[in-house]
Amino acid sequence: MILEAILIGLLGAIGILDGRIFGQMMFERPLVMGPLVGIVLGDFTTGIIVGATLELVWMGIVGVGSATPPDVTTGGILGTAFAIMTDSGAEVALALAVPIAILAQSLGILVRTINTSFIHRADKYAEEGNARKIVLMHWLAVGLFFLNGFVPNFLGILLGSEVVEGIVNAIPQTITEGLQVAANMFPALGFALLLQMTFTKKLSPFYFLGFGLAVFFGLDITPVAVIGAIIAVVIYQLMPTDKDKEVLL
Amino acid sequence: MEEQQINHQVSADQDQIVDKKTLRRVFWRSFHLQGSFNYERMQALGYLYAMIPILLKLYPKKSDLAAALKRHLEFFNTTPAVSSFVMGISTAMEEKNAREKGVFDSSSINAIKVALMGPLAGIGDSFFWGTFRVIAAGIGISLASQGNILGAILFLVLYNIPHFFLRYKGTFWGYNQGTTLLSSLYEKGNMEKVSYCAGILGLIVIGAMTGTLVQFTTPLEISIQGATVNLQETLDQIMPNILPLGLTLLLFLMLKKGVKVNYIMIGIIAVGILGKWAGIL
Repeated sequence: MILEAILIGLLGAIGILDGRIFGQMMFERPLVMGPLVGIVLGDFTTGIIVGATLELVWMGIVGVGSATPPDVTTGGILGTAFAIMTDSGAEVALALAVPIAILAQSLGILVRTINTSFIHRADKYAEEGNARKIVLMHWLAVGLFFLNGFVPNFLGILLGSEVVEGIVNAIPQTITEGLQVAANMFPALGFALLLQMTFTKKLSPFYFLGFGLAVFFGLDITPVAVIGAIIAVVIYQLMPTDKDKEVLL
Repeated sequence: MEEQQINHQVSADQDQIVDKKTLRRVFWRSFHLQGSFNYERMQALGYLYAMIPILLKLYPKKSDLAAALKRHLEFFNTTPAVSSFVMGISTAMEEKNAREKGVFDSSSINAIKVALMGPLAGIGDSFFWGTFRVIAAGIGISLASQGNILGAILFLVLYNIPHFFLRYKGTFWGYNQGTTLLSSLYEKGNMEKVSYCAGILGLIVIGAMTGTLVQFTTPLEISIQGATVNLQETLDQIMPNILPLGLTLLLFLMLKKGVKVNYIMIGIIAVGILGKWAGIL
């Protein structure tokens, strides 16, 4: 178990560092972390499926602006891991992943608060023209983020699995089924969060167009995305370039 | 004629101070933007980390270097994927500052950074978070939920192709023609057009996902004068998937009213359990 815990801890560290020093290439997302957890714990397929379910739930949760969002990396990793270890489905993963993500979020907030001290020390080194020491301050903060990813995931696997198994076995059936219902509703929250970013009155018909294409014509996401891209390009070309743009926008 | 020659010389000089190799280092270091993220000045230290190879090259004198290092420790926050573009612009301006020492207004370097980060974050977020990621994830999820590993791989590939392209090219665009490029885009209104059309594409895909990925039905049957009516069938006749659509729009309204995401999550779990218990859901 200790080896698995270390490996899962490292996955957590890589996931947290994705948005820090790997330029946010998106392997922090549950959709990617799920299969990796599956490989470590020996159930690849469950990892993929639970990862997809959690991704859907958290689709709208992203670190936009200055806010620190719920930690979907740690939530996704431990949720998937516990679902595999207790042999239960995505609904149990979700029930565990949501509170874990919120708990881990506070750890992230702590790190970002401590990091303030590094930039103050960097100020001093800047005054001295010491670039090397500034780089060191940067890396110390990176080190804290590494721990931010490693520690909760490592401890979660090491200490949590038995506790979690006990809890999962004690959950009555109505609640498990209710969680399944909630799991199916959750993506709506993700889309609502995305709408918050993009939805305006003028653009609203396009949302309903996408909905209609999927519901009435039974189209998949990929064909709808292709049609959407064509529509976007055509509208771009039709839009007046200069003077009349106020009329349209 | 003479003036042109002088300009030529200057631009040749330019290439000598900051070469392609150093700019490429800025590109690679730009991945570190949030490595030391903090609440006081956000991405500032990461931004400086990326700029350090340039600054070391431009300012051999310690006092000049110190001033430049301090300059880039000011507050900065934008979409990570577009940060290298701003770094390219900063590079061009630092170079000018190093060459025209005393003449160039060095405070303009930060002024430009501050002026750019807001609008660029707006465009960057709507592009990368609202469009590319949503499409890539939508396609990825539909494959992965059937247990297909291609889902995760396609997600990464689809997102990172535009990501790497813009991040790499952005460094050089910013350096070579940053300010002119940006002002011409804004003057012609192209920037607004592009993000407007990206919004269209994003919304169409989000709409399709609302219609396909939210499962929300009711088993409720109502008996009216002995005849039982299946509520879900009736709803389907009005419009298929009307419940998922209604739920999404309801949650959207709640978010707009300022209800916290975490409360909504807990609320959904409560509604799910209570609804199942009462036999409504």
